[in-house]
Amino acid sequence: MSKKILEVENLRINVLDGTPLVKGVSFRVCKGRVLGIIGESGSGKTMTCKAIMQLLSKKNFDISGKIEFKNRNMLDMKEKEINKIIGKDISMIMQNPMTAFNPMFKIGNQIIETLMTHSNITKKDAYDIGVKELEKMNLDRAHEIMNSYPYSLSGGMLQRIMIAISLMLTPSVIIADEATTALDVKTQSLILSEFERIRDNDIGLIVVSHDFGVIARIADDVIVMKDGEIIENGTVYDIFDNTKDDYTKELLSARLLRKEVS
Amino acid sequence: MTKYIKKRLIGLIVVLIGITFLSFIMSNISPVDPAEAFMRRNAQTATEEQIENLREEMGLNLPIHTQYLRWLTNAMQGDFGKSLVSNKPVMEEILSKFPATLTIVGMALIIIVVLTIIIGVLCASHKDSLFDNLTKVVTILGVSIPNFWLGFMLLFLFAVSFKLVPVVGYGSIKNAILPSITLAIATSSSSIRLLRSNMLENQNKDFVTYAKARGIPKKKIIWKHIFKNAVPPMITLFGQTIGYMIAGTAIVESVFSWPGIGSYAVNAIFARDLPVINAYVLIMAFIFVICNLLADILNAALNPQMLRESGDL
Ligand SMILES: Nc1ncnc2c1ncn2[C@@H]1O[C@H](COP(=O)(O)OP(=O)(O)OP(=O)(O)O)[C@@H](O)[C@H]1O
Ligand SMILES: [Mg+2]
Repeated sequence: MSKKILEVENLRINVLDGTPLVKGVSFRVCKGRVLGIIGESGSGKTMTCKAIMQLLSKKNFDISGKIEFKNRNMLDMKEKEINKIIGKDISMIMQNPMTAFNPMFKIGNQIIETLMTHSNITKKDAYDIGVKELEKMNLDRAHEIMNSYPYSLSGGMLQRIMIAISLMLTPSVIIADEATTALDVKTQSLILSEFERIRDNDIGLIVVSHDFGVIARIADDVIVMKDGEIIENGTVYDIFDNTKDDYTKELLSARLLRKEVS
Repeated sequence: MTKYIKKRLIGLIVVLIGITFLSFIMSNISPVDPAEAFMRRNAQTATEEQIENLREEMGLNLPIHTQYLRWLTNAMQGDFGKSLVSNKPVMEEILSKFPATLTIVGMALIIIVVLTIIIGVLCASHKDSLFDNLTKVVTILGVSIPNFWLGFMLLFLFAVSFKLVPVVGYGSIKNAILPSITLAIATSSSSIRLLRSNMLENQNKDFVTYAKARGIPKKKIIWKHIFKNAVPPMITLFGQTIGYMIAGTAIVESVFSWPGIGSYAVNAIFARDLPVINAYVLIMAFIFVICNLLADILNAALNPQMLRESGDL
């Protein structure tokens, strides 16, 4: 068993009026492994990720349970401590690359901003690091990209920029929520190979998808969610070859069906 | 970009010709005869003959399009004729009145920008707080209270009751405070509400969520990511507002006896001083259209995407 980095224990998320959205979810994320989260629309996958990223406002949601990172419960931390972790130790790749960047600022500006928030470096150094990280992502003409506005780049490029940003501060956990859904099949495949490289970097990766094909390709462990609960978990082989759960079977066969049709 | 500006400038000239022509016709079909009004004011006993002579002299007997063309040719050379009241060149008089108006408009703009940014951002970042709700009430009052009433109220409170500023007067900044505030209240109210709602709309955008996920501090998210994206639509509003305000000074200047172009125009209208009225309409239309154009250009420059989408920029 490899080393655990992040542990979610009995996570519950309620809307303030009491409506439960996530009802006691537990799982762990380990170094160098990919955790796949799968489930139908509305099953609480995004909510779970947002809770980990501390993106849910206490004004709207009541969150309980444990999100343990480096042996401390992030739900008990002060905003200042949280700010040191989010974006640096735990980073996120968003679903829609086309709308994830501020349209009024160049890509370089947003990369530099991220670097300078988390480390004590000059703008010049941040720019150089940004260029290097983009090149690592197989993006040619990195200088040009740094000086481009988001609208002038394609979805696949922006998604790779986002992956570069998520990697550049050497995080221990990366969360990718439907990070390939908005992309065409070819780009999707390229991005998935980037994810495989992330795993090899000893990072714990959470990949959320409702596409079994994506999960089958890169996940090591899988949890299946329905109505805010985990109904099955195990290694990717357990789930795909020997599932005992009817719901999972249903999801699987729906996937197979789709494959036949297309 | 230059192509776009050229296109807009041609449109501008068409608008100016249209507006001045309309104003020409309007004053022509009005039942009061300016020559008669002028004579009655200047000579107690004006004969029919005297009035007829003046009419001839002013060119009022010519067909309207000839009158208009004649006026337009002169106006393009900066000659708007002489005021029927003072007998001085209109251009000279208008130029001498402008600084007073620009003073209160300028101060009003500063007040508007400062109030809008501070209150608008506070309201958006503390949505539904007591402050936000109070602001909602005050701004509703602010847009619905008529200028002249607000002006009288302010005068009464600060000049008559508290004696903080002189009732009327011109020359010092102190005198300009009340008229500027009066001019600023309505626009501030609507722009505070606009900024607030623009910011709230941006607050839920993906790029704000992503900025949070990158760990960007809250203050920076508010100012850089939310505020900056809420500003471009405001600039268009401001371009229109400056025009409205310069034109709208007429009421405020009358309330405060402020010797600017607004009260000058109001007096001209009461005196049927046609050359002044026509010059005023042209200049106001010009300012109006130019302000709009500048706002649009600034907006385009601020918004790189818009620049690209309207391909001819
Ligand atoms: N701001 C909110 N307030 C109240 N309920 C919400 C809010 N956002 C989401 N929900 C509800 O929470 C539930 C879980 O949503 P979530 O976005 O986590 O689903 P998901 O598993 O990510 O689905 P999808 O595959 O469509 O992305 C849904 O029923 C949704 O309607
Ligand atoms: Mg989701």
